[in-house]
Amino acid sequence: MIAFLSFVVMVLLFAVLVLTARANELSRVLKTDKLDFTNQSRINGYLMLVCLILLFAGAAYSFKELLPLMLPKAASEHGVRTDKLFDINMIIIGIAFFFTQIGLFYFAFRYNESRVDEPYFYPHNNTLEIVWTTIPALVLTGLIVMGMIEWFRIFNVDARDKNMMVIEVTGKQFNWIIRYPGKDGKFGERIIDTAHITPVNELGINWEDPKSHDDFMSDKLYLVKGHPVLMKLGAQDVIHSFFLPHFRVKMDCVPGIPTEFYFKPTVTTKEMQKYLSKQPWWQTNNPETGEPRWKTFKYELACAELCGKSHYGMEREVVVVTQQEYDDWVNQQTAMYESMKPKNTEEPKAAEESVKVENKAQAMLIKK
Amino acid sequence: MQTAQSIENAHAQGHSGVEHPHEETFLTKYIFSQDHKMISKQFLITGMLWAIIGGFLSILFRLQLGWPNETFPFLESILGKWAEGGKISQEFYNALITMHGTILVFFVLTGGLSGTFANFLIPYQIGARDMASPFVNMLSYWFFFSASMVLLFSFFIQTGPASGGWTAYPPLNGMRNTAINLGSGLGFDLWILAMALFIISVLLGGLNYVATVLNLRTKGMNMMKMPLTIWALMFTAIIGLLSFPALLAGVVLLEFDRLLDTSFYLNNIVINGHLLGYKGGSPILFQHLFWFLGHPEVYIIIIPAMGIVSEVLSVHSRKPIFGYKAMVFSIMTILILSFLVWAHHMFVTGLNPNLGAVFALFTLLIAIPSAIKVFNWIGTLWRGKIRLTSAALFAIGFVSMFISGGLTGIILGNSTLDIQLHDTMFVVAHFHIVMGVAAFFGMFAGVYHWFPRMYGRFMNETLGQIHFYITLIGAYCIFFPMHFMTGLPRRYYSYANFDTFNNFDHLASFISISAIVVFIGQLIFVVNFFYSIFKGRKLEGVKHEDGYEYANPWEANSLEWTAPIDRLHGNWPGEIPTVHRWGYDYNVNGREFTPQNEPIRPGEVVNG
Repeated sequence: MIAFLSFVVMVLLFAVLVLTARANELSRVLKTDKLDFTNQSRINGYLMLVCLILLFAGAAYSFKELLPLMLPKAASEHGVRTDKLFDINMIIIGIAFFFTQIGLFYFAFRYNESRVDEPYFYPHNNTLEIVWTTIPALVLTGLIVMGMIEWFRIFNVDARDKNMMVIEVTGKQFNWIIRYPGKDGKFGERIIDTAHITPVNELGINWEDPKSHDDFMSDKLYLVKGHPVLMKLGAQDVIHSFFLPHFRVKMDCVPGIPTEFYFKPTVTTKEMQKYLSKQPWWQTNNPETGEPRWKTFKYELACAELCGKSHYGMEREVVVVTQQEYDDWVNQQTAMYESMKPKNTEEPKAAEESVKVENKAQAMLIKK
Repeated sequence: MQTAQSIENAHAQGHSGVEHPHEETFLTKYIFSQDHKMISKQFLITGMLWAIIGGFLSILFRLQLGWPNETFPFLESILGKWAEGGKISQEFYNALITMHGTILVFFVLTGGLSGTFANFLIPYQIGARDMASPFVNMLSYWFFFSASMVLLFSFFIQTGPASGGWTAYPPLNGMRNTAINLGSGLGFDLWILAMALFIISVLLGGLNYVATVLNLRTKGMNMMKMPLTIWALMFTAIIGLLSFPALLAGVVLLEFDRLLDTSFYLNNIVINGHLLGYKGGSPILFQHLFWFLGHPEVYIIIIPAMGIVSEVLSVHSRKPIFGYKAMVFSIMTILILSFLVWAHHMFVTGLNPNLGAVFALFTLLIAIPSAIKVFNWIGTLWRGKIRLTSAALFAIGFVSMFISGGLTGIILGNSTLDIQLHDTMFVVAHFHIVMGVAAFFGMFAGVYHWFPRMYGRFMNETLGQIHFYITLIGAYCIFFPMHFMTGLPRRYYSYANFDTFNNFDHLASFISISAIVVFIGQLIFVVNFFYSIFKGRKLEGVKHEDGYEYANPWEANSLEWTAPIDRLHGNWPGEIPTVHRWGYDYNVNGREFTPQNEPIRPGEVVNG
């Protein structure tokens, strides 16, 4: 009923608007016999100035209110640098935004027909064209050079720390499988065939490989402060994207194609909480817990590529700790081999099957 | 009507009016018309209907995003099972964003914008009686119409329309399995069919546009005398001809994967612990094919708007467009570069970093011709005598939006910064401003400007200006603050699962309210449009000795205003006009404006 009434009200408002506008138009035609827009141009000229002021006021207000929320404080080594680059870029485009919008709206006001007698015939000026081609070209060169230096630093395989941690994260609908290599620092081999991949062993881990015996899975992604980490990424079913907003890390997880991202966390969860306890927004109470927000702060892992209906639910907590805390945590973990292997007692048979399905044609048949 | 008596054979190019009067039925005049003007109106009105549908879909998902904890019982009454209890389901939310993207990008801003103005302006402004092939032109519309019907139909099937994003990435859309994604069943088959039909329409239309511009220019109309609209529309058609086939190939292979279990895009897929038999394909291959169209597509959308705006700004500033040649060469540069930047949509797919660097470089290069265009538009306004009509206001709004949205492209094109920003609301804000809102502004400028030419009546100026201010301010309210949601992934049904993303509740509601206001504001335009077709103020003309009335309401130079107010089949009753000068002789040689068909008089300064 309310919906219907509001619909009727809207239709009536529309009718009023249309009729008023029509009347306005007719009276204008009566006043001047020719098409004369001078009056409208005068009014719209002032409104152009109003638009300009509104635009800048709105922009300033947005920056004041929203800038503190725009990017969370960076918690990785390269994140701090890319944020700086982001700021430089923002300042430069901010300057360009400011002057071009002023030029646009101010000229629209200043040179509207009510304020000008004679327009100036000015078809081109090659010097001007060269100037305003060269300046953007130089500025953009600077930006791209800075960007590319950083880009190759992030993806420089040769500069990786030999002692880096390696963690494997596999996306699936709608979850993340996080696998740690255990104390030996090496992952057990994965074999992609129907013999190894089962509902219990989704990743197809080869239990005969001794390296797999100390691998463990975790619900949370544990990282160590100051310790570089290589994320080995993959996906089971559809494309997901591994996104750590605080660490400025994003890389797609593609079924059948391995990807990776190397970075170094620099702020532990506790240190971040301490930092946030001084930030106004984080001091406000979280209505759900009744405590200040900073107390329950946690780093998070999100999916950034549409992957189906629960795309928005692929949350995992990320915990950054010191080396000591990490070692203690590792010691408490149970290896997958212990929890998954005992159920699967027919190991030799599984190996036989893997031989059988080696060729592709057969694999297709099994799928059917 | 005089129109019916003076229909002329469209092929009688250049000859004086040999009239072939024959009866036109309702069917041949309004439905299966081969007249470029009627076809353009068909595109325009179909595009407008799609825009209303596509815009309405966005209102539906903005309700979910703005008030994730509320229920809206009226939604259940219109959407049924897709919104049980007044809350849009997760699956339908994805379908809404997918269809919103597909409809707006392809059916409104490609079909509606290019289809309308290329059809309407090319024959008129180059002085041709019709398109090179009026029949193929008619087919182009009817393929577009069939595509529209197929897409519309997909809303009403059991599993709902496509819901894997307008980018249609496999494997999400690569298997005909509704357990993976509800919209990947029949809904996506229909999506592919609609796209295939749509691409045929674009190719038929595009061939025609290019052929017409190259071959049917009237005497004296050499390329450098063409209005910028024609340059823009021709380049747009060329981009479409070169890039759409890649998408067609891409989606056909995708359908093979879906129907015939081939593995073009699929490899080692594991569903619930069961390995499927797909081997050796690459999901990334599809992204390359898709974006090989997908990126040029944004130029297909924006370049016609650029052309329209250049023309409208010049006419209403009573001043030539500043730097005509620079404008032509900058569009040409954009055309070439548009084919070299597609992988900037794929910086974080695991693309080789060296390749990423090359694409980042080319992407930032595009900013240079774009900047030239902006400076030239501002230069056109400088010391003009600007008539601030609805058309001029929308053209100015276009430039403002193009600046705001284009500048953030400099950030996104920088692969390093894209790591954080990729697939976040920052991207959504960027491309909505620069190609969504800006292209709409260009389209509105064009409709307000050429409405008298289309229907012989004016649109209501007062309503037009109200429409402009609501749209300009509203669109900024929606998309400016959205840039600050820098970390929020897009295509999220709700952000409540994440502590990191939950600090924008108020902003999300504000954006939704603005979106609703802007949507209602657009209805003002729709009402104005249809009302003015029948009741708008009539264009008053001067009767010439041939018995036709002529009018040039904006005192413009281009050839479309040298034709009678009545829209004749064949455009000009007598000989087609001969061109003697460029289209921008405003306020020079002691005359306020000088139409292109006026001979150069002795002592004149020749421009362009």
